[in-house]
Amino acid sequence: MPVLECKNVTKNFGALAAVDFISFSLEEREILGMIGPNGAGKTTLFNCIIGIYKPDKGRIIFEGRDITRLKPHQVCRLGLAKTSQIMEPFRSLTVFENVLIGALHGGRMKMADALVETEKVIELVGLVRDRDKASSSISVPARRRLELARALATQARLLLLDENMAGLNPYEIDEALELLGKIRESGISLIVVEHIMRAIMGISDRIMVLNYGVKIAEGSPQEVVNDEQVIQAYLGEKVSHYLGGIGLHGNHD
Amino acid sequence: MNSQAYRVKFWMCFIVASVATSLVPFFTSSEYILRIVTVVIFWIGMAGCWNIMSGYTGYIDFGPVVYFGIGSYATAIGMTKYGMPFFPSAVLSGIISVLIALPIGITTLRLRGAYFAIATFAFAETMKQVVLEFDRTFGVSFFQGSHGITLPIGGHDNTFFFYCFLAVTFGVILVHYGIEHSKFGYGLKAIHEAEGAAEIAGVNTTGVKLRAYVNSAFFLGVLGGIEAYWITYITPGDVFNVHKTVQMVIMTLLGGMGTFLGPIIGASFLTVLSEILGTAFVEYYLIMVGAIIITVILIMPRGVVGTIEEWSGIRFH
Repeated sequence: MPVLECKNVTKNFGALAAVDFISFSLEEREILGMIGPNGAGKTTLFNCIIGIYKPDKGRIIFEGRDITRLKPHQVCRLGLAKTSQIMEPFRSLTVFENVLIGALHGGRMKMADALVETEKVIELVGLVRDRDKASSSISVPARRRLELARALATQARLLLLDENMAGLNPYEIDEALELLGKIRESGISLIVVEHIMRAIMGISDRIMVLNYGVKIAEGSPQEVVNDEQVIQAYLGEKVSHYLGGIGLHGNHD
Repeated sequence: MNSQAYRVKFWMCFIVASVATSLVPFFTSSEYILRIVTVVIFWIGMAGCWNIMSGYTGYIDFGPVVYFGIGSYATAIGMTKYGMPFFPSAVLSGIISVLIALPIGITTLRLRGAYFAIATFAFAETMKQVVLEFDRTFGVSFFQGSHGITLPIGGHDNTFFFYCFLAVTFGVILVHYGIEHSKFGYGLKAIHEAEGAAEIAGVNTTGVKLRAYVNSAFFLGVLGGIEAYWITYITPGDVFNVHKTVQMVIMTLLGGMGTFLGPIIGASFLTVLSEILGTAFVEYYLIMVGAIIITVILIMPRGVVGTIEEWSGIRFH
């Protein structure tokens, strides 16, 4: 049984179809990359899955359960968590307390268990040094990891990562990819939205491409990078070429 | 500070403070001093109620006085019309406030920011009008409208009311204790900082907000009931007066919103200040109090507690 199934999910804002009959499925422990130009509907799709938006049409099935109409906190408690593109730490609280909230509320743990879980998660993501700092005062990579930690603490089995690597330098990206690998190994499935192609190519089992609210391609990273529609809409020839694709003229070196 | 240290510190301070305050009536023979202390305790309770709801969540409630008024009327009507004794009436005041706070909370807490403030304020004003016009509209004799209700005089002295208010304020303080370092408290703070992020982290924001709102309403109701019995005569304009809301807000702001000590410091400071200035400068004291409030807010926008925490790095929670 797939961990997540989206069937014909549609979300309109007035006359604009931000997400237009999108269907896909995700298997357990799979990492699905989602790419596309800005405004393609990636974040909107995430928001529909997590319950911030109610889809106008379609259904979302998580672990066999229809979650289409559920509220975000209910979806989270069922095991589906999301990080935000625009990071929103609980600013006046410490890093530790931020993650603790995920364990207490999303993870539905008692305080004693939540404290233990929080320590574990903080160590996993490498935030031990920043543990007691105000979350508004830590570096950008640390804040990214805090977003991730808070989501992990909710005991999620599926994570939606919305540009969790934005603002990282190449070294930090490598560290982040290593962390995602560890997370997948622990049994968690991921859908990763990124603009950093090197990262997406490296980590994804499959890639899905969105443009204007519609899925225009889906397949292995190699297939997607060679797809003409994807090249036209998003990648451009040079990038496709650089990533090992064939390009429009059928040449590669 | 960590949770364990906090717990120990709290109980030590609380026990010392409770014992000290409880003995005040025995250490002063002045009725005047006793009344001042009673008023301070009363306002700590009131400001604390506003802090529980608005201080922690940041949802600025502009109608908390409505539950105070409901409580006053519940006790007044219970005692005059139904011959109930005082203590059950005061408890009834709390219960009725809770029953009304539930539907009101569910509806108004969907609103944010200024809209929430307006809606809660509107509800308070509406309630005042209802109590004023109900009897005349329906041809009954229940609220007595603008005539007001006179409560039976029980022959209790100031000391009795001192302990009544003290008991309720202890309750409010204990709720604060229960909030700090708890799942509920973290939920409140998360809602304040980033409600959207809180939702996707699994916080049942509606449930958490409602719980704070109803908690606050209960204590306000009981305080209203005790106050009614103390002053023995209530009118709608008096017990539903927005001035009480304003005082709760200012005291909490001065002391520090969303902190444990905030309402205590703010209420004590403002009450004592008003009293001292009021006796010394009878004509101008309101202006002076206003000026002092503005100055304090300008110098210490996070209130006394917040500013001390910032300057010295000590965390009081």
